[in-house]
This record gives sequence, C-alpha cells and structure tokens, in this order.
Amino acid sequence: MKESNEQETVLHARNVHKTYGSKGGAQQVLKGIDLRVLRKEFVGIMGPSGSGKTTLLNVLATIDRASDGAIFIDNEDISTMSSAALSAFRRNKLGFIFQDYNLLDTLTVKENILLPLSLGKISKQRAEREFTAIAEVLGIRDLAHKYPYEISGGQKQRTAAGRALIHQPSIVFADEPTGALDSKSASSLLSVMDEVNRNRGVTIIMVTHDPVASSYCNRVVFLKDGKIYSELYRGEKSRQSFFKDIIDVQAVLGGDHIDGI
Amino acid sequence: MTVFDLALRSMRQNVKQYYLYFFALIFSMSLFFVFASLQHDTQVQRLLESSVNFSAAFQSAAVLLVVIIGIFTMSSNRIFLRRRSREIGLYQLIGLSKGWAARYLLMENLLLGLGALFAGILCGALISRLFVLILLELLHLDGMPAIDFSLPAAIETTFVFILVAVITSVQIITMIYRSTLLHLFQADRQPDLSSQSPTILTAIYAVLGIVLIGYGYELSGRMVDEQLVMNALLVMAATITGTYILFRVTIRWCFTWLRRRKNGHLGLYNSLSLAPLMHRMKGNANSLTLITVLSALTITLVTMAYSFYYSAEQDTRMAIPYDFTFENNPQDAQAFTADLESSGIPFKHYTVEAVRTTGVIHNPLDPADSREGSLLWLPAEQLQRAGGQLSVPAFGEAVEYDAWAQNAYDDIDLSGRYPTLIDLQSESQTKSYVLKELKVENLVNFDISGKQLAVSEATLDEIARRMSGTEHFEKVQIAAYLISDQAELALASSLYEKYRPDQYTATDFYSSYQTTLQTSGLLIFIAAFLGLSFLASTGSILYFKQMTEAEQEKQSFRTLRQLGFDEKMIMKGIMRKQMVVFLLPLCIGMLHSFFAVRAASFMIISDITIPTIISVGVYAAIYILFALFTLGYYRQVVNKALLL
Ligand SMILES: Nc1ncnc2c1ncn2[C@@H]1O[C@H](COP(=O)(O)OP(=O)(O)OP(=O)(O)O)[C@@H](O)[C@H]1O
Ligand SMILES: [Mg+2]
Repeated sequence: MKESNEQETVLHARNVHKTYGSKGGAQQVLKGIDLRVLRKEFVGIMGPSGSGKTTLLNVLATIDRASDGAIFIDNEDISTMSSAALSAFRRNKLGFIFQDYNLLDTLTVKENILLPLSLGKISKQRAEREFTAIAEVLGIRDLAHKYPYEISGGQKQRTAAGRALIHQPSIVFADEPTGALDSKSASSLLSVMDEVNRNRGVTIIMVTHDPVASSYCNRVVFLKDGKIYSELYRGEKSRQSFFKDIIDVQAVLGGDHIDGI
Repeated sequence: MTVFDLALRSMRQNVKQYYLYFFALIFSMSLFFVFASLQHDTQVQRLLESSVNFSAAFQSAAVLLVVIIGIFTMSSNRIFLRRRSREIGLYQLIGLSKGWAARYLLMENLLLGLGALFAGILCGALISRLFVLILLELLHLDGMPAIDFSLPAAIETTFVFILVAVITSVQIITMIYRSTLLHLFQADRQPDLSSQSPTILTAIYAVLGIVLIGYGYELSGRMVDEQLVMNALLVMAATITGTYILFRVTIRWCFTWLRRRKNGHLGLYNSLSLAPLMHRMKGNANSLTLITVLSALTITLVTMAYSFYYSAEQDTRMAIPYDFTFENNPQDAQAFTADLESSGIPFKHYTVEAVRTTGVIHNPLDPADSREGSLLWLPAEQLQRAGGQLSVPAFGEAVEYDAWAQNAYDDIDLSGRYPTLIDLQSESQTKSYVLKELKVENLVNFDISGKQLAVSEATLDEIARRMSGTEHFEKVQIAAYLISDQAELALASSLYEKYRPDQYTATDFYSSYQTTLQTSGLLIFIAAFLGLSFLASTGSILYFKQMTEAEQEKQSFRTLRQLGFDEKMIMKGIMRKQMVVFLLPLCIGMLHSFFAVRAASFMIISDITIPTIISVGVYAAIYILFALFTLGYYRQVVNKALLL
C-alpha cells in the first residue's frame, strides 16, 4: 500500500459523456466531465435542477454506463470490468443514499438497513452491534420494526443512510441525503457523515442543493449544463466562511434558491 | 368528448395493459363455445340420447364449466383492476366523479367483452372440430364429423358472456365506490398488517385449520354409508375451510414466527421470498385456497376418469370371466359351438355342473342382520379345469366370489363379515357351512344368478343330495367359452347375438367391454376437457398474479441491483418465493385428491395406482410449466431492472 494516502486517487473520471435516448431525440446530459476524487475526501456536487448531478453520480457509482470517456476506481477502468465484478464491487465497496430513498416496501427499517450485510461473512452478533450503533447515531432505533409506509420522509432518508453505511463501504454516494430533512435532522445526519468520513476514512461524494450541507465538504464541484462550472476548496476555512463562498458561486450560477443558514 | 370515445381511445393506447385480461376473456368464451358445440353436435347428440348417464354427465360438466369461467374471469378482472387502481385514482384526482369513472370502466369492459366474445367464438369454431374428432376416437366410433358452425352453441356462449359481463360490472362498481383515493394510490404499499402479533387466538385458529383438514381426511375414509351425500358435503366443507384457514392463518403464523426469529437479519433470499409473501398474505390466501381446491378437484376428476378408462378391460373381465356362457341350454350351446367351428374361430369350451339353492348368510357383526337369498354353489375342481385361478376349499367350507362386493354393502371394510355361517334348510333340519372369506371377482359371468360360492366337489355332492327336494333347488349346467384369439372376439360376439336371451342387455364379455369403453371414454373426455380448463385457469390466475407482483417489485429489484446484488442472487430468492406460490397449493391439492380418490376408489375393482400416478404426473407437469413461464417473466424483469 502506498504511504501517501492523503494524495491517493480513489476515483478518476476522464472526459465522461452521457447521452440519453437514440439519435433522433438524443439528449446530451454530461458533456465531458473530468473529476479526480482522493481517498478520504468529502466532495459535494451542486448545480441547478436538471444539470446532470444524479446522472453523474450514477455513472461514477457504476450503476449506469457512460456513453464516452473513462472512469477509474482504485486505478481500475470500470468499463473493462464484467457486470458480475461490478456487482460484487458495489456490494462490498460502495454505499448508496438515493434521492428517492429506494427502500424496500416489504421490509422493516431494520431489515432494510441490514440488507447489504446479507451474503457477507459477518456474524449475526457483529451485524447486530453495527446496527445498534448506527441506528443510535441516526436516531431510528425505535423505528426498527416499522415498515417504510409507516414512517416519515425524513425517517426514510435516515434509514437509507443507515443502509448505505452499515457495511463500512470505502466510498459512499449520496444523492440529496438531506433533501427531506428539517435543519436539525439534516445537521445531525451531516455530522454522522462527517464523522464517518473523518474517523473511518470513508470517501463521500454527495449531491446536494443545500449550501449548508455542502459546507460540510472538503470540496464542492459545481455543475452546469453537463459541464463542471467551477470548484471550491474549503482548505482551512471555517464552515461559515466556506458557506458564504458557496452561496456566492450559486448566485452567479443561478437556478437555485438560497436558504439561510 | 364522450365517455365512449375516451374508452375506445384508451383501449387502443393500452392494448398492452389489457392483453392479459382480454386473453382471459377470449379463452373463457372459446372454451365454452367448444363445449357447447360438442353438446349440439349431431353425432354426440345421438350418443347422448342413448344414455341418461351421458347427458347427465354433459349437463353437470357444463355447470362446472360455467362456474370455473365465472371464477376465472372474476380473478382476472380483480388483478386487472388492481393493476389500474392508480389510473382510476388519477381520474378522480383530476376532478372526474366516481360515476364518470364507473361509466367509463363499464363501457370499456363491455367493449372488451364483446370483442372477446367474437374472437372466442371464432377460435372455438376453429378448434371444436378437433375436439369432436378426439371424442369419437376415444369412443371407438368412426365417421367424419360434419363441419358446420353451431348456432345454438353461439347463443349459449352469448348467455355465458352476459353472465360474465354482469359479474365483472358489479365488481367494477363495488371497487370504485368502496375504495378511497388514498387506497387507490397506495394499493400495494401497505403490507397486510394484521399479521403483526400472533396471539393465542390466532394460534388456536392456526391449529384449527389443520384439525379441520385432518377431520375431513378421516371422515373421507369412512363416508360411504347411507349418508354418503351428507358426508361428502361435510368432507368438502371441512377440507376447504381448513385449507383457507391454513393459508390465511396457519402459514402466515409460521411465517411471522420465522421472521420474528430472524430479528431483522432477514438476508437477501428471505427478503425476496418471505417478505413479499407476507406483504400480500391476505390476497394470496384467497387465490392459493382457490388454486388448491381447484387442483384437488381436477386431479381427482381426471384420476377417476382415467382409472375407469384404464381399468375398463380388467374390471369387465373380473365381472365376466368367460367370453360367452349358456345356462342350462345345451341346444344353443351346441349350435354356437358349430357356428364358431364353421367360422374357423379357435376356442376353448368347458362345462361346469353347479347347483342353486336358497340359504341364509349370517352377519357376525349383527345377529339380526342375516340375509336370505339365492346361492350358486360352484365346484372348485371343475372351475380349475376351466381355467379358473382358485384353490379348492376344505370339506364343508365355502368361499364367496363377488366382483361388486364393495358396492353391495354400505361399509367399505368387509373383513368383519367373514368368516361366517351359511344355513341351508332342507325339510326339517338345518345344516351350516362355513363361509371362509370373500374374493373380489366373479367365478362365472354375472348374469348367472345367485351368490357365487366355491366349494369342493365333495361338498357340492352333499349339498345336492340334501337339498334336492327343496323348493328352489335347481341343477345348473354352465357351458363356458373362451376365445383364444382376441382379434376374433368381435366376430364371435356377433355370432353370439342371436342366442342372447335378452336383446337389450349384453352379457358377453366383448359387448360389455365395448359399452364400458364408451362410457369411460366419454367420461375421460369430459374430465380431460374440464381438467384442462381448470388447469389453464389456475395456471393463468397464478401467472397473471405473479406477473403483476413482478411489476410491482420492479423497483425493489432495481434497488437490489444497484446495491450490488446480481441477477443470479436475486433469481435465487425469487425462485424460493415461486416454490411457495406454486408448489404449496400443488402439494396440498395433491394430498386432498389422494384422500378423495381413495374414498371414491370403491367404484373401481382393479388397482388404480398406475392410472393415478400417470394422471397426477401429467397434471403436475403442465402445472410446473406455468411456474417456469412465471420464472422466465421474472428473469426478464430482473434483467431489465437496471436499464431503466
Ligand atoms: N433515464 C433517463 N432518460 C432520459 N433522460 C434522462 C434520464 N434521466 C435523466 N434524464 C435527463 O437528464 C437530465 C439530467 O437529469 P438528472 O437527474 O441528472 O438531473 P439532476 O441534476 O439530478 O436534477 P435534480 O436536482 O432535479 O435531481 C434531465 O434533463 C433529465 O430529463
Ligand atoms: Mg437528481
């Protein structure tokens, strides 16, 4: 293993294009994205609605294939990996928080969260410990035996977060994880993600509309019309001043309304 | 735009949504049309006129067919409506009234139904000829069937269509007026929650289901007595209710217990089988019960009919061991011998000297129940020489032979009645003989009257001596013929015809066999027709239901694939679910029919293990085919899940 872990690239996208539809009604959504994500980085992706954030996330997360360009994860070109290898990779190494939660209606909160651990070699006791710990942090322990239709949108989102983190993935992809949360729940979820990122060294790539959420990141990438418009690094700045920077870029970018802090 | 225009337009746009329901309607209509055409076919009509049994069988089959068509269209319509509940909710959301939505759906239903009626009659007309051919082949009748369209059949089919249209319309109206908007939109979201906490009461219910089925099985083993109809109804009620409770409570109870034990650590495979099964347990209970009962019914029906057909020859042979016999008629026998010789038919001829008396047979179980009747005493040694397979009883002992013994008494178990005594009264004294046992076959043809009793020649001599003066005593000389070459039987039978004492009932082996073959041929045809219709309906109901569930679970499959579970893993879980959905009703249905066949098997003399295995095997094979189709459909859905 290389020692310079601070500089190690986990994910590298090169000139990624994505086109939806066939030639006649083709719509180019990603128009050449270059992005390099380092290990242990917490990257935010922002941009107006329809700018291609979810699409980019899906392509990076190997859920969708790029039309053109190359993506390397741990220096391996994913376009050359078989779909079985990609599945195994997603199952073991990646965690997902989807924009519309994608919980299984037929499973309880606990069953949903424990799903990624099935087929793995983790003992039941350890799984139980992991679950208790994560449910405690996310504040959904009391909901363990409830079904998705019985809980609120925010509780669903926290359940989805639990499912994304339970198997200790090396990269977590989050699509607007705070979209349905009030500011208090949002900040507690973000603290969890921050903690996971700092202490466990999990790389996080998060799409968000919320400048508060993205102020937790090390870096924010702005998308516009399928291209990277600009990037902001937090560096040694405080969260408040990083937040102001983000708002400034957003104002120029337009499209999104701005909520106060 | 009128409701009519909209219905027509939406129909054209949504053929894909409709095609299942449409197919179900067409299938039902053509099925009934084929059956009605058969009933009105001139050749078949001639057959029906010849026997009351035939027309009764056809009539009851028609009723059963209408019932199954009703059940089938209702189930498909329910599935169809559920699939469209969102659309129906949407109409109301944009401000259209419930009345409008009802009118719209009714109009659409009527148009679909009329289309299906025409298509069904057309398909039916094309294939009904084929069915007539199969029927005539089974009955060993020749003659090309006439190729004409049956108008009365079309009219009857239209009546059935009206019935179906009324039922489905009522269904649509209740569905629209009963359900709330939220209900329409969340049709599939909410799990069936009443399963959450197993209480003592549900535990009692859970056991009750099994007890009821057990009681039904137990009763079926001893139901053949004076209250046969009452008992049969009781058995059916107990098993059907038990089956419903089994699916509704017992199995759910097991599932809940299993899931609870997992305490959240469900794993992928259970998440794809146990969880969705429990999610829809209430709806599934109805359809699984229906399918179990229909499977049991079909298997029993087909097994019994096939057993009749299969054992026709053996059963006839047991009742009529000799091809031809003459009783006390040496002139005719001699003439017949001459006829056979001049036609060059090889044969064996035997003469058996028996006696007939009256006597009283005691019932050891009930001293008051002793029966007086005509007894035919047959010498065992002579029968042995005449090709009979029997041993010679000891002096003073007799063995009873009766091919129809199981029908003769009310109770199925006859072993308690033997050994017993036969009293023969001559002048003033009574002598008893031991009746050792009963054998379920005949020693001589059934038309030679009297209870057939085999004794040794010494015993026979003594009986003849003692009884010769009594009122009903009679010496019986039996001339028996066996034709060595089976191919000559038909010719021999026609030679025999002019000696037949009674012109209407045939007593020779060949003619009886032909009659049995025709009856059982018709029986097996009707059973196979009904069986296939039942099977197609149950299979289709399951297939439709699973298809709809696959659509509903598409999002889950997609999520699972995104989380990194590949197609093989997901299919493994789905396979588990399909095992429960398809195999559980099949196995329970087979168990039900096992007991039903056992209870009904007294109607057949021969052993029916082989025909039972064959008909159950054929049923299971076609049924499994539907399961494979379903799995194929699921595979497609899982495959495409990621590309959305
Ligand atoms: N499966 C698809 N087929 C065709 N077009 C699609 C598909 N998915 C997304 N698009 C189009 O691609 C564009 C970008 O969609 P995307 O979901 O990436 O936007 P987004 O940035 O995530 O927006 P939002 O903030 O609203 O979630 C949109 O114009 C959308 O219409
Ligand atoms: Mg999005």
